[in-house]
Amino acid sequence: MVLVIGGSYQGKTGYARDNFPEAKYFNQLHLFVKKRLSELKKPYEILDEIREATKEGTWVIIADEIGNGVVPMEADDRLWREATGRILVELAKDATEVHRVVCGIGQRIK
Amino acid sequence: MLTLIYGGSSSGKSAFAEDYVCRSKHRNKYYLATMDAKDEESKARVEKHRSLRSGKGFVTLEHSVDVYEALPEIIQIDSGDFSTDATGPHSVVLLECMSNLVANEMFRDGEINSADDTVEKILSDIKELNNERISLVVVSNNVFDDGNEYDVGTKNYLKALGQVNEEIAHLADEVYEVVVGVPVKQEKEA
Repeated sequence: MVLVIGGSYQGKTGYARDNFPEAKYFNQLHLFVKKRLSELKKPYEILDEIREATKEGTWVIIADEIGNGVVPMEADDRLWREATGRILVELAKDATEVHRVVCGIGQRIK
Repeated sequence: MLTLIYGGSSSGKSAFAEDYVCRSKHRNKYYLATMDAKDEESKARVEKHRSLRSGKGFVTLEHSVDVYEALPEIIQIDSGDFSTDATGPHSVVLLECMSNLVANEMFRDGEINSADDTVEKILSDIKELNNERISLVVVSNNVFDDGNEYDVGTKNYLKALGQVNEEIAHLADEVYEVVVGVPVKQEKEA
């Protein structure tokens, strides 16, 4: 599995398509986490589900980095931010490659 | 020796900072906690961090302001026979987290200090801690990339933290940004 991360609107999806044209995509992972949290799933259950879904074949997981801001006022937003961060740290350990995209330019960091 | 470890919320920066400290040989390892935990959520965070570093041999020191006051405590402990690894040349201090320290110094004793005064105060304390008997590792937070507009108080805080980060990066021997748990070493110009 390859993990592609970066801020929003940085060209992550285009970068992934250019570099991994044959792969299957799990895009907007941060929003998937938000949806599952709203269904009262625990972060480890969400991580298990993502791992299960991307078990077979070559996958590229794409997510926004949402942790680089001021602490949100709402408790749910803080939980979402933390869960997404922790899940991404675990997925980065699983990943064979991690790429970070800034202004459409990717840097392989793992 | 000064190291800056920078990253967003839940980016894995603490885990990396602890590994970084534990990889090198030191006389004693100190964890300088700056969070002034008043509410339940903060207390839970403190507990979580405590359990994550338990068994790693850190001595915890708590200073939510005036971090230079940790120095006499460190000297006293180092002068006793408490070394966890006496082969190391120095002790190491892991200061976590700069974002709390800036808030605590800026909003202290019922007053609001200016960004400039806050930056000056913190840098002076950090320089005092960063002496020849100590390796200092500072963990700081990227809170700058959400694109939101904030009130003037928050802006002043962001300005102070940004400037502290910049100055510490300038003084530091090594700077790392931690991204999804992956340390990205920032090359400093010679």
